[in-house]
Amino acid sequence: MDRTLDMSVSTNELKAKIIESLRLQDVTPEQIEDDAPLFGTGLGLDSIDALELVVMLEKHYGIVIKDIEEGRPAFRSVRTLAEFIEAKQAPK
Amino acid sequence: MAGGMAADDARYPVITGMGIVAAPGFGMEAVWGAMQKGESGLRPLSLFESPRYGQVLAGEVRRDLTELGAPLRGSRSDRLGWLAAKQAIDSSKIDLRVCGDRTGLLLGTSVGGSFDSERFLTTLIKQRKMRVRPTRFHECASAIEIIADDFGLYGPSMAIATACSSSALAIATAADLIMTGEADVMLAGGADSLSRMTWGGFHSLLLVDSAGCRPFDANRAGMSLGEGAAILVIEAEEIARKRGASILARLTGWGASCDAYHATAPHPQGAGAAAAMQSALRRAGLEPKAIDYVNAHGTGTRDNDVAEASALKSTFGERVPPVSSTKRFFGHSLAASGAIEAVVCIEALRCGQLPPNIGFTTTDPAIGFEPVKKMKHASLSHVMSNSFGFGGNNAVLIFSQPESPASTRPVRPTPVAVTGIGVIGPGTVTNREIEPPLPPGTVLAHSCGNLAGAESLSPNQRRRLNRMVQMALLAARGSHAANPAQRVAIAMGTGMGCLEEGAAFIENLISKDEREPMPARFPGSVHNAPAAQIAIDQQARGLNSAPTMGELSFECALWQAISQLWSGEADCALAGAVDELNKYPLSIGKRWGLWTEKTRPGEGAIAANLVPGENVKESLAKVTAVHFGRYPRPFDPTREVDWIASKVALETIDVVLSGAGGLSDLEPMYQSVISEFSKRAGKPLEHQTYKGLCGEFHAASAFGFSRALDLLRQGKRGILLYTLSVRGGRAACIIRM
Repeated sequence: MDRTLDMSVSTNELKAKIIESLRLQDVTPEQIEDDAPLFGTGLGLDSIDALELVVMLEKHYGIVIKDIEEGRPAFRSVRTLAEFIEAKQAPK
Repeated sequence: MAGGMAADDARYPVITGMGIVAAPGFGMEAVWGAMQKGESGLRPLSLFESPRYGQVLAGEVRRDLTELGAPLRGSRSDRLGWLAAKQAIDSSKIDLRVCGDRTGLLLGTSVGGSFDSERFLTTLIKQRKMRVRPTRFHECASAIEIIADDFGLYGPSMAIATACSSSALAIATAADLIMTGEADVMLAGGADSLSRMTWGGFHSLLLVDSAGCRPFDANRAGMSLGEGAAILVIEAEEIARKRGASILARLTGWGASCDAYHATAPHPQGAGAAAAMQSALRRAGLEPKAIDYVNAHGTGTRDNDVAEASALKSTFGERVPPVSSTKRFFGHSLAASGAIEAVVCIEALRCGQLPPNIGFTTTDPAIGFEPVKKMKHASLSHVMSNSFGFGGNNAVLIFSQPESPASTRPVRPTPVAVTGIGVIGPGTVTNREIEPPLPPGTVLAHSCGNLAGAESLSPNQRRRLNRMVQMALLAARGSHAANPAQRVAIAMGTGMGCLEEGAAFIENLISKDEREPMPARFPGSVHNAPAAQIAIDQQARGLNSAPTMGELSFECALWQAISQLWSGEADCALAGAVDELNKYPLSIGKRWGLWTEKTRPGEGAIAANLVPGENVKESLAKVTAVHFGRYPRPFDPTREVDWIASKVALETIDVVLSGAGGLSDLEPMYQSVISEFSKRAGKPLEHQTYKGLCGEFHAASAFGFSRALDLLRQGKRGILLYTLSVRGGRAACIIRM
């Protein structure tokens, strides 16, 4: 399942960045579902991967997270992460 | 066990001196004065420039170390340690000229010379200049050399690098050395300086509260980093009484455990922390209700404090004794924190005062108790100090009033059998490129290349664990089949730690001015990453240690692993060592002329599985003695053979397996000992070496150990594994069929 989200953040690009920043092996963007959980089950990521995602968000999207609790709801799935980036990037 | 290892019930460890250098003050009096006034030592960082986090509070030692009397030689950590050692020796009024060869030094340090090596890296990366001098004291074991040589300590000595529990584990191991009769007096504690590495590392983990830590508070938002050193003088009670020393406290209990859960996160319910507290209580022969105060690890991170509170409740039930974390006074000084808090506990016992948990205002329902808020008087008999580190590494100490009856369980040395060995290496000789930012070049090296068996690792292990950790993991898997029903202790020595991972992390930090850090690489760079990952892989929840002592790192690990079998804290123990090739030692070693046609650098990992018992069915060999210490300089082969002869009957040795054939500085020393040994044994001695096979690296004597097992299979009967280190260490290990 790879529905295209109606948003300016490309989920495929985001998936590629996740794979790159977490050094995921033998995983392609197509294999990651938009709504599948990233942590625990699913890709089996842990708290250190969450920190790598924090670095990725700053590097590629200019979003700074200082408290991991702030990022936690965003890291549920690719979709929540894309929505989080959208919201942060929206003009205030 | 051969000479010197008899247990003696009168050898209870007592504390007769202490020294401390930390942010709140220089010396016990200054520190305690600040604590009584409730004055935090945290200030904005000034030691080095931090482009991103310069305003964050840190527990920095702001005095000039040279003005305080520190030697000019050594890294910042080494010099902090030296200052604390000097105070401790002075306060104990011990005459080390009389007991130097029965006095050792055990130091917890995890940063080692990083702060100084970072100057080298900054110059290299930013100015493209090679100024290698500051890297001379990079090794954690350098502090042992600087301090032991200056004060004349020749007994068993090593550094332990298990992150934030290092110095508590060092104190526990010193107590074991005294209980087994291996030493009479031990200087034990820890020293760690602030460094860009740990500063950037903990920031990358989002674990730092920029306004300073608030342990156990509902609104806590992380830790504060600090630096410093604290050292205790620990003596066998009979020795202290005989010389009329004034006894400050008893060390009655010590316990160690591993969460075997995660590289950085504690077990959510603090299961490992509780196991370590219970192990310390059992050792001390005390009920939980006997504890009058707990100095908590209490870093101020959300996860640590709630897990520790849960562990306290499961250990003490409804009645949790008064608890405080003193981290806001000192900052979290990592490997030194266990020793700093041990000193605080001893002073609390002496003064009958409970140190406050400054920074706390609001109770957290998830924690459910309020720590000690103000310094207050209390009658204290027994106090507990908790230290927990990366890798789920836990160590707990219990200090008691000097007049309290000693009920510490004795340690009973027993024969130990080797039932399996796993070996990664020896490498094949290949030309190794030296990569940027170092000047280009090549060095011939013994490299393990692609690791045999790596396909058996899980996808997450292959993705996340660095190569050196993978080497250790594969060696450990090769040494035995994991049995979750057994209590397993692990001691995995390393001379240099995970250099590749550490270098990648710090190069990135310096070249990008702290932007885009590499959080996944920081926990992988600690010296105890191999031991901690073996524990997770095998669900091994006993002691988990990373001794580091240059060329003797394996022998130190062997002693520590065996001591867990003797004390009954483990059913089986894994002892090993690991080191990897890295461009920095290749390049700097080339410049210093270490690498020649004859001496090639190498790498490898070895793990041996040990069980207690005389007649073990699957036994490959027996380890009948392990001794380590330091040789007085100038090196004297006669005195050296005297030392070996005091541990083993020379005529029972068929083969001496030595570390010769490596670094040229050690060559004449080895040759003179072998020739003196032959003379004394009255027969020509068979001398074998192993470095031609595996190359020169700190963990190489573990290869010697595996070679010894080969020789036993070929019919040899008594083998002496004899190792010297350039930093002044020596070890003798006897292996028999």
